[in-house]
Amino acid sequence: MQAHASIPIAEHRFQFGYYRQVWWGWLIGSAFFFGEVGAGLFLVSLWTGDLVGMTLGYAIVMVGKNGAHLLYLGRPARFWRAARRPDRSWIARGIWATGIFGASGFLWLLSQWGDYRLWTGGPATIIFWMAALSALFIMFYDGFVMSASPSIPFWHIGLLPLLCLTYAALGGVTLSLTVGELLGRADATHQSALMWGESLLLVINLLLLAVYLWLMWHRNETARETVRLLLQGRYARFFVGLVVLVGLIATLLLSLAHTQLAVRWLMIVIAACELTGDFTLLMVLLKSGLYAPQAAPVFLPSRNRRRS
Amino acid sequence: MPRWGMVIDLKRCVGCNACTIACKQEHGTPPDIHFARVVTREVGTYPHAKRTFLPLLCNHCEDAPCERVCPTGATYIRPDGIVMVDADKCIGCRACAVACPYLNRHFIEPGLLQAGYGGNGDLTPFESLKFAAFQEGTMTKCTFCAHRVDQGLEPACVVTCPTEARIFGDLDDPDGRLSRLIEERKGWTLLPECGTKPCVYYLDE
Repeated sequence: MQAHASIPIAEHRFQFGYYRQVWWGWLIGSAFFFGEVGAGLFLVSLWTGDLVGMTLGYAIVMVGKNGAHLLYLGRPARFWRAARRPDRSWIARGIWATGIFGASGFLWLLSQWGDYRLWTGGPATIIFWMAALSALFIMFYDGFVMSASPSIPFWHIGLLPLLCLTYAALGGVTLSLTVGELLGRADATHQSALMWGESLLLVINLLLLAVYLWLMWHRNETARETVRLLLQGRYARFFVGLVVLVGLIATLLLSLAHTQLAVRWLMIVIAACELTGDFTLLMVLLKSGLYAPQAAPVFLPSRNRRRS
Repeated sequence: MPRWGMVIDLKRCVGCNACTIACKQEHGTPPDIHFARVVTREVGTYPHAKRTFLPLLCNHCEDAPCERVCPTGATYIRPDGIVMVDADKCIGCRACAVACPYLNRHFIEPGLLQAGYGGNGDLTPFESLKFAAFQEGTMTKCTFCAHRVDQGLEPACVVTCPTEARIFGDLDDPDGRLSRLIEERKGWTLLPECGTKPCVYYLDE
């Protein structure tokens, strides 16, 4: 890949150029994906009262997200240490949120499946809201994990957590619709609202992505190089093809068709398209992250020479 | 309490990588892990082409993003400003590596220490001795040779540099050599826009 302005993408650390983000790959991408989609499904199902959706969302977070994180860690047996600094680290905050979600979600599911009335009134309300708020937190906190540091300019923007949240909501709505249709227990009022929400979220995500790329294009040379990678470079077929065309535009057209045709299998195709776009977006965000080149300011005309 | 820092004179650096090797010898880092390295770049076109060198190491930032994002507290900053990793607390999440704009964090892949440089598990006595200080599945980084500094010695890369391009000292000493060099020769740091306040300065005037 030939980079702009004669600054290459370095192949190793002794070479000058943009450096790729190589640390977080498909396992972290999977963990983020399962966290967003699972928590989104849980929250949407909490609203619709779909117990199967809630349980599936809970399982996706607890098994998929946590499993991928544990597989990724160099020292998984020490994972509990990651909860030590919630005052400073977004990863620590995420661990706390996941722990609270695990406990409160389990209690809520237990009470619903077993129809237990051990906790009613105040305690039930507290458990409900703890599960709902922790799920909401899981939907967007990975955006903060990525945007917290200025090292990768393409990630260092407040829009990223919002993008994670809207994508998580989209994934949750899609899965909720699919579960409802497959099990044939969809509530007509909820299904109609969810279909409307799905279309709205698809448009919002498309707009957010456009704004994100526009902001990054005008940010600095490193962020612009990432935009080039996404639109013209090695990740273009994934970003343009899978994220935009399949994940957003095709999903939107199929969703509109689904409202007219009401064919059950079409919902599975919609879900496959949307989730493919969702997962691919997280992966290309991780893979296309670039570090700024390190060099004497005199060799970087775009950077002002200044004392620190 | 001093605040340790370094000044690297790019006019003196000849790109010999002696610092890279000295660091390797001092710390006995596993394969493909270099706490110190020299980035080479060719600039200009013939007949005015030349090679330029940029020695790199951990900047021991005052506002270190690696320390800020560490969820376990494994990365910490000593009172003298040296950024360290406590491998016993590290879980290998690599958040610090992602957060470091200077790419000066290194992950010790599982199996790396057992395989050694030969790749066959047949470690030399030197490897056996030095690798004992590392833990697989954790992060490691330049320590500014804290074990030497604590004994009143300078880091290995500073002592080794044949052109004396590296100067180590107390940044808080207004009359010290570092402060004077930075002031007189307009010292600058890498990627100041990241706001990390590095303690490694460069001179090229």
